[in-house]
Amino acid sequence: MAAMLKVDSLGISFGGLKAVDNFNVEIEKNELYGLIGPNGAGKTTVFNLLTGVYQPTSGQIVLGDDNITGLDCEAISKKGIARTFQNIRLFSQLSVLDNVKVGLHNRHEYSTLDGIFRTPKFRKIEREMDEKALSLLKVFDLDGFCNYKASNLPYGQQRKLEIARALATDPKLLLLDEPAAGMNPNETEELMNTIRLVRDKFDMTILLIEHDMKLVSGICDRLTVLNFGQVLKQGQTQDVLHDPEVVKAYLGD
Amino acid sequence: MDKVIAEKKKITRSNLITFAMVIIAYVIVEIMINTGNVSSLFKGLLVPLCIYSILAVSLNLVVGISGELSLGHAGFMCIGAFASSTWSMIMKSTSMPEGLRFFIAIVIGAVTAAFFGFLIGIPVLRLKGDYLAIVTLAFGEIIKNLVNALYFGIDANGLHFSLEDSMHLNMDGGTIIIKGAQGITGTPKNSNFTIGVILLLIVLFIVLNLINSRTGRAVMAIRDNRIAAESVGLNATKFKLLAFTISAAIAGVGGVLYAHNLSSLQALPKNFGYNQSIMILVFVVMGGIGNIRGSVVAAVVLTVLPELLRGLSDYRMLIYAVVLILMMLCTSAPSWIQYRERIMMSFGKNKKVNGKESN
Ligand SMILES: Nc1ncnc2c1ncn2[C@@H]1O[C@H](COP(=O)(O)OP(=O)(O)OP(=O)(O)O)[C@@H](O)[C@H]1O
Ligand SMILES: [Mg+2]
Repeated sequence: MAAMLKVDSLGISFGGLKAVDNFNVEIEKNELYGLIGPNGAGKTTVFNLLTGVYQPTSGQIVLGDDNITGLDCEAISKKGIARTFQNIRLFSQLSVLDNVKVGLHNRHEYSTLDGIFRTPKFRKIEREMDEKALSLLKVFDLDGFCNYKASNLPYGQQRKLEIARALATDPKLLLLDEPAAGMNPNETEELMNTIRLVRDKFDMTILLIEHDMKLVSGICDRLTVLNFGQVLKQGQTQDVLHDPEVVKAYLGD
Repeated sequence: MDKVIAEKKKITRSNLITFAMVIIAYVIVEIMINTGNVSSLFKGLLVPLCIYSILAVSLNLVVGISGELSLGHAGFMCIGAFASSTWSMIMKSTSMPEGLRFFIAIVIGAVTAAFFGFLIGIPVLRLKGDYLAIVTLAFGEIIKNLVNALYFGIDANGLHFSLEDSMHLNMDGGTIIIKGAQGITGTPKNSNFTIGVILLLIVLFIVLNLINSRTGRAVMAIRDNRIAAESVGLNATKFKLLAFTISAAIAGVGGVLYAHNLSSLQALPKNFGYNQSIMILVFVVMGGIGNIRGSVVAAVVLTVLPELLRGLSDYRMLIYAVVLILMMLCTSAPSWIQYRERIMMSFGKNKKVNGKESN
């Protein structure tokens, strides 16, 4: 089975600090993969490297058959990586529907002039975008809120909207940065179902960062533990979570 | 889908109201003129009203929609004015029909201003931060001073430029068009209220449709969260540059109207200086940042009011300053916002706020 994502000895330093060093991972298609580790271990930095926010100082990233090392955010999004953020980043003044439609930007195109002169092409593509965006919102039970301003949504719904927007770019790989942060156990339970649903319904490959061990052990197939920017352990979820080294460095007693 | 369609209708209706307001105002003024109910003072204000409305809409595209601050919009107006006026002066003596000449003048004003907007935007809009404000502020002043020092003439040998004086043009007969601080004298008076209103309607059409399209959404998304916008594959610099260039072009059109409304055109602090840029910004802030219809209303009200209250004209800038501070408090201070929302609620306004620019 070919890997969807193959990362080889990836590294970056900020000044003298090696935030990520010699990071390797292989994620298979349709896998739900977890990235865990203590605060400041470099998890978010890995996401920023994968999505082109930072350029790696060493290593390479291969997505499917494409070597995407060194590409910028725009190019990487087009190649098929989408993400959510640790601190929610929505287009706060836009409607819920428009947030998703922005995600569709590169998949449904018409020119600026089509837009200004309201050509038939504009009408047709806008309609397609509306339908597509609504169907995505429906998956997350957000279609009823389509005209709400994004910033007026409750917190849990904002998290879901971020996932819907990411999926709108039609990615091959979805990165979720602490999706359960700030959620109560019930919401977390619901989120776990949503993530599973996304994986099955969209045949998606997912890499997620999470501190909530219930969620991690509940849905992740495999894990990588990061500590001080380096891989501490990798393997099947249950094996990793019971590894004495991991328990000592991260999970505590 | 019903909800989406309903929302679209709401936006369309709101846009139509904006157009209707302009057209109705135009018809009323025309009737008043034809029945002799308009003072010559007010008549003189009609074209400036259109100019300021156009400039306010233009600046709102940058400030409200793109989320950048420009403090040099009078500079783009200046470029549009001088470029188009030069064209009209050159062609004045030819047999080109006046309508065509003025149409081309408008295109030249828009394109030249857009070109400068693009040039400034390229280095500045790459950066994250409020650099545009500083650079446009400097740009506006530089353009004004440059034009003040510029001599330009045309003779049988072609075009002549100088930044010294008219002697350095080395002209062989011909005519001097731009005479340094004296500017251009004798621009044909092609601007009138009707043309001003038509241009305002065209500008509104372009800006409102742009906002409610894929491109406008991208621009607003980048304004709201640049990092997230880049993560879904938008090129932030490209869209900011696009919005800024279009805005500069529109400001240039305002300049064309200005130049062709007066027989003598000079680059003074009063018309193309820093104060003018701030004044346009005041229109935008007062009308509501991001609210296109509001910009037009504010530009009209704030241009007409001071004329009605002539006695207060010395205090005009002072009053603006006070009102501006009040506006900022009103829109930003949490306690004021709470108070405003309570009042809105009591008027039975729907709490469900429409997130999209809909004016
Ligand atoms: N742009 C940057 N410049 C300098 N240092 C940075 C930068 N980004 C991250 N770091 C540093 O890299 C290290 C890893 O940070 P990162 O945000 O990846 O941690 P994390 O594992 O996501 O932690 P958390 O669980 O708290 O989110 C930290 O020490 C952080 O201060
Ligand atoms: Mg993090």
